[in-house]
Amino acid sequence: MTRCVADAGLADSGPNFRNRQVDDGPGSAVAWAFVGARAVRILLIEDDAETAEYVVAGLQGEGHDLEVAVDGRSGLFRAAGEAWDLLIVDRMLPGLDGLALLRTLRAGGITTPTLFLTTMGGIDDRVNGLNAGGDDYLVKPFAFTELVARVAALGRRPQRTAPETVLRVADLEVDLLTRLVRRGGQAVELQPREFELLQYMMRHAGQVVTRTMLLENVWDFHFDPRTTLVESHISRLRNKIDRGRAELIHTVRGSGYCIRAPA
Amino acid sequence: MRLPRLFRTSSFRLTLLYAAVFGGSVLLLFGIAAQSVTGFMIKQIDAITASELAEVQADAGGVSTGALRQVIEGLTVRSPGIFYLLQSADGHVLAGNMLPLEPKPGLRALGWTHQPPEHHTSGGIRGDGLVLPDGAYLFVGVSDYQLGEAREVIIRAGLLGLVAAVVLALVGGVVMSYGTLRRVEAISRASRAIMAGDLGQRMALRGSDDEFDHLSASLNAMLDRIQDLMLGLQQVSSDIAHDLRTPLTRLRQRLELARQREHGVEGLRNALDGAIGNAEAILETFGALLRIAQIEAGTRRAGFTAVALSEMLDGLVETYQPVAEEKRQNLHARVKAGLHVHGDRELLTQLFANLIENAIGHSSTGAEICVEATSATGEVLVVVADNGPGIPAEFRRKVLQRFYRLEASRTTPGNGLGLSLVAAVATLHDAVIDLQDNEPGLRCWLRFPI
Repeated sequence: MTRCVADAGLADSGPNFRNRQVDDGPGSAVAWAFVGARAVRILLIEDDAETAEYVVAGLQGEGHDLEVAVDGRSGLFRAAGEAWDLLIVDRMLPGLDGLALLRTLRAGGITTPTLFLTTMGGIDDRVNGLNAGGDDYLVKPFAFTELVARVAALGRRPQRTAPETVLRVADLEVDLLTRLVRRGGQAVELQPREFELLQYMMRHAGQVVTRTMLLENVWDFHFDPRTTLVESHISRLRNKIDRGRAELIHTVRGSGYCIRAPA
Repeated sequence: MRLPRLFRTSSFRLTLLYAAVFGGSVLLLFGIAAQSVTGFMIKQIDAITASELAEVQADAGGVSTGALRQVIEGLTVRSPGIFYLLQSADGHVLAGNMLPLEPKPGLRALGWTHQPPEHHTSGGIRGDGLVLPDGAYLFVGVSDYQLGEAREVIIRAGLLGLVAAVVLALVGGVVMSYGTLRRVEAISRASRAIMAGDLGQRMALRGSDDEFDHLSASLNAMLDRIQDLMLGLQQVSSDIAHDLRTPLTRLRQRLELARQREHGVEGLRNALDGAIGNAEAILETFGALLRIAQIEAGTRRAGFTAVALSEMLDGLVETYQPVAEEKRQNLHARVKAGLHVHGDRELLTQLFANLIENAIGHSSTGAEICVEATSATGEVLVVVADNGPGIPAEFRRKVLQRFYRLEASRTTPGNGLGLSLVAAVATLHDAVIDLQDNEPGLRCWLRFPI
């Protein structure tokens, strides 16, 4: 069972972690929970009361601050009129649909990170959503851990500063320009796909990245493979990075993976 | 008042316009003909009179009034068709068959024949006059009656032609409009039948390859497409009804059993986890069905671009190698560099990922799996081959259908939709899919047109 605890090594701007005891039968497991440096202030624009309740209850439990708009027009009004860290927008809304709403916001210069909730099977929805200015999308119905991870990733999106060229976690170093990887000063040979995988995880160091997030961002797969694709690649990466050393790549049970310095 | 339908057709209106244009051209044509014919006749008459006048003078041996008088008196008897006049300076007729004239020299046209009433005939005279040195006047003329006749004949012919042209145009218009109206009516009738629910109805083709045949063929193609889409929709509905009912029933039974039997928190939690797992599998199947239906609807075709197939296949093989290695299988690529197909990158990725996953999933430890791609004339060939158990020949078509699973693979995970998604994506790309025996194993061919 993986035990992840708060890591002092992460910079101030990074997220804080708190442990949450979960009664998981015999013995107790420690599940991951993420809380931003400050609570993420989220506007949920969703007309279905049950979905809204599910999202609100869950994200409030994660320490976020949520408010709900139940139709497109009031959603647009509130999204434009107040300061938010994140918008979660349903694709189909009465009054004004999600795409038009976001296009209007973006045209008005409002760049608040936005997560789309789309209905399943709509193979064009993702492209349309991203074209309209969405930052990420989630297909309904979604696993709760997936939503939590996406909100964490979007809610702390770094303000665009000078681009980093070297990513570091503990004694692991990834040079994005030379594509050299070092662990404790020793060079590690990675295949191109392994490098992409490590790079994505390093960019989200300290955050949970789900299997789906990896599939979408590392492989550009927008479907669910029926094989242990992600698991196989992670285990290869682990062999090269972590073998015989303190573990950096952690499995977060029921959610995904997390790269962070050892406790 | 509303005109009868025939007269309201666009082709009839067009005919009226044509009739007017034809009528105008007939009038113009005959006008020009009349002008040229009469002009020619006038020239001839004038030439005759001028030469006759010269001849009279030559016969008289000069312009002495006495000699002219004798010549003219003779000519008046010998040439009855010609008009002669010799009058003295004081206006008395000296010789000839005409009444006195105002002495004007040169060519002149007279409105009537200037003869005594008993000799009077219709028409006028064109002639040539000469004033003699002693003030006498000599005139020779010819009747212009034929000129008027000719003009009249031409005008009459023109009017007759005009009437005939207009009548013919109108008759033709009616016939043509009736033909057009009948064909349009046939199309409208077929559309009404389709609207009333007879979806199998199609526009009749005459085989003349004219614009109506083209229109009907386009409409028929559109109707075929609509019917395909509707059939697809019906297929999805019946698939859902058929194949989701079982897992939904199972889910419900599981929950009911848990309520009856489980009392501890632990047991209920396990039952809930199981139920969530069931629900997820159902949702996944549902999502896959919708995805296949959307692919079959063909709307993705609009976004087709050139897809770098070689890079995609190499990348997929690299991606799946760790998975194959975990099963101690050997997955390798023999892909010709630089191949491209016209298509949807995302869907093609899923197609090949599905085929590779199928090969990995259905082959046992130690299997060889190979992804090959090459080009031939007009097509790109991709083969995913394994030396696993393969598919018996009689089932190779069936496995491409929705939910069809071989008995042998019922125990492996999957919803039986993987290959039907492959088939749907292949069809969308006009690619031919063919499952063959790899002796042993399965050899899945795809031929993409380029």
